[in-house]
Amino acid sequence: MDCRNYAPVDVAKGICHRAKQTVLADDPNCEFFEPTQKCKFCSHYVSSQEEQIGLCGAVPNKPWTYPELITVTCEWFARKVS
Amino acid sequence: MRNVVCMFDSGYTLPQGREVINYYYPLQYGFDGLIEIAKKKKMEVAGHAHGDGMAGINRLYNYEAAILVLEGIQKWILNYAMEALRLQAKEMDPVQKREYGELAECLQWVAHNPPRTFREAMQLCWTIQIAVLNEDAISGMSPGRLGQVLYPWWEQDMNAGRIDREKTLELLECQRVKFTCIDCFASMGVVGGVLSGNTFNNLTLGGLTATGQTASNELEILIIEAAIRCATPQPTLSVLYDENLPEDFLLKAIECNKTGSGYPAWMNNRVAIDFLMRQYGPEGMTPEEAYAVAIGGCLETSPCSWLQLKLNGKRYWIPGGSGQPTSVGVHFISLPKLVELTIFNGVDQRTGQPVFPPHNNKLNTYEEFYDSFRSYFRKTVEVLALTNNIQHDIWRKNNMAIFNSLLKPDCLGKGHLINELGYRYNGTFSIETCGTINMVNSLAALKKLVYDEEAVTLDELKDALKNNFGFKTADEVGSYSLADQEKKAGCEKYDRIHFLGMTAPKYGNDDPFVDQLLKEWEDWFCKTCHEYESLYAKPFYACQISVSTHAPMGEATIATPDGRLANTTFADASMSAYPGTDRNGPYALFTSATVWNHSTSQNSQMNLKIHPSAINGPTGSKKLLELTRAYMRKGGFHIQYNVVDSKVLRDAQKHPENYRDLMIRVAGFTQYWVELGKPIQDEVIARTEYEGV
Repeated sequence: MDCRNYAPVDVAKGICHRAKQTVLADDPNCEFFEPTQKCKFCSHYVSSQEEQIGLCGAVPNKPWTYPELITVTCEWFARKVS
Repeated sequence: MRNVVCMFDSGYTLPQGREVINYYYPLQYGFDGLIEIAKKKKMEVAGHAHGDGMAGINRLYNYEAAILVLEGIQKWILNYAMEALRLQAKEMDPVQKREYGELAECLQWVAHNPPRTFREAMQLCWTIQIAVLNEDAISGMSPGRLGQVLYPWWEQDMNAGRIDREKTLELLECQRVKFTCIDCFASMGVVGGVLSGNTFNNLTLGGLTATGQTASNELEILIIEAAIRCATPQPTLSVLYDENLPEDFLLKAIECNKTGSGYPAWMNNRVAIDFLMRQYGPEGMTPEEAYAVAIGGCLETSPCSWLQLKLNGKRYWIPGGSGQPTSVGVHFISLPKLVELTIFNGVDQRTGQPVFPPHNNKLNTYEEFYDSFRSYFRKTVEVLALTNNIQHDIWRKNNMAIFNSLLKPDCLGKGHLINELGYRYNGTFSIETCGTINMVNSLAALKKLVYDEEAVTLDELKDALKNNFGFKTADEVGSYSLADQEKKAGCEKYDRIHFLGMTAPKYGNDDPFVDQLLKEWEDWFCKTCHEYESLYAKPFYACQISVSTHAPMGEATIATPDGRLANTTFADASMSAYPGTDRNGPYALFTSATVWNHSTSQNSQMNLKIHPSAINGPTGSKKLLELTRAYMRKGGFHIQYNVVDSKVLRDAQKHPENYRDLMIRVAGFTQYWVELGKPIQDEVIARTEYEGV
């Protein structure tokens, strides 16, 4: 679930801050959808051959990261233009 | 490990934990204050050895690391404050909107300053808890005597009318939910097999103050009430039972026991103090400091210290952890497996692999058998102690904790972290065993049947053990409880030997024949542990809790001379009787359990299952308290209760969907029934159920 309003409870479900209800992680987006920040949405993210591992191009030594890492506190996050 | 002689990865995959955290320094100084202290100390020590040619100069780097970590933690806290403000901006509900604002304000304050109110103190303690857990793979980072740590703020808030009991209960219940959300992952064998997924956040209640008076207070009563109202596995509760504790406090704890949550567990405060003085006296512990004891992890008597807090002109002595982790050492040696290896000359019967060099002793006498068994025990400890020391040396050189270190006395003062013996108490490595009672019962069966009465030869016994006394395996039957096992057709030849094994003297019945064997073992085991040394050059000590290891270890062990069948679970804990064999009532069990001095070991562990009807009403509560007292007064260290009808448990196995929030006490921890593996469920069902106390 890539919505900023989603607070995960476990791998299958979470709580919607707006609706104040339990939602499933793979429920479709609703009218209040707000895109969250994750590495996979960042223009600095460099994917690699290995599944689920990539590199962060914003940092000089290009450390490992992974696409689902939540980056709401990352000062270098730059949303990819789709 | 492959032959499950031990479950040793527990001792190094969780390099920290089973200890008591210390919240004091941030509570007293705030994070800004701690950074100032670290900066000042850094300037004092920079470039100086001050007589320590090995590690004196390191203090400069340690203080710098402390400053960086503290600044990082401040930023992390402020990120949460920003998130609270973001949520507040979007929130429509006015009550929730206000609450987000209060949360942000609280976080912004505690990111820098010592707390002013109970709520801020609670928030800071929780933040510290999570910060420590983020630093390493940790299980059992116990909050300690949190009710006594937070009491200064609560007392002053209550006097000033800033809080009331209901608001306090709401905060305590929310805290229970947060503690229950803690998770850890080390390895499948550890988290699943050893820990049953539990995280052992043990909140200690009761005990004594630094001057020997009762330390229980009204906030602790509310902590118990919150646990009754909001029954979650965490934090688990422990009462440090002392004769000085007030009756109303003790009866409140009993009321919680009667809800069936499995907590609080009861620990003997004076036995704990005696143990601490034995182990840590050489490191300078005094009796007054030993009074600060709290329980780490599920049942680990942990060294703690008193530190003086000043709040609005009033002084309080608050307890907190001051020792290294006790999650480390030689872990979970399977004593029944060592009996098997002794019988079969070092060869594991499940895998066919030789584990030890053959002893080649003829085993013609009981003494020869017992000496061979102890020799294999020593070999096990030697190998594992060496391995553990090297593993932890790698950890301390490459990944040791900075934040947890600076929280514990005396790291901030000395400038040395955990790796350089910065903690006040460093002799915390243990040698831990599982299956004590099946081992003792097996020795009793061997002594009586093979050696004293010669009713069975050793070869006949070996044959019977290899063939599981003519029974199907537990895997075939689908149950790990002895009660559910099934005979193979046409396998009557082992019936006599099995009968003799089952009816041989059993621990838990006040029978000196068996109890003397237990005493001999404990006296030897507890003393022998001190012969081994940790990487910190401190002696090991004995630790006797099973957690969940009695299930997988039982599954990997063939039948044993006491009549136990292959793959079935061992007796739980270390002083619990094997299910169904304690036939003379709880007081006989207590007499058996206390033949040895419990203060020579970090712990002992006793579970009792009691039918709810046995302790009904106020009279029932008093009976349960008297039962607890009786065990404590005999010198028992620990007892805990499952107050449940076994029929409910059987139904819960068949229909787990109807029992999602049923909780059960296993061995030192409470867990949701539906999250326990079947072998543990079977074992809990099989435990003797007392219908009268």
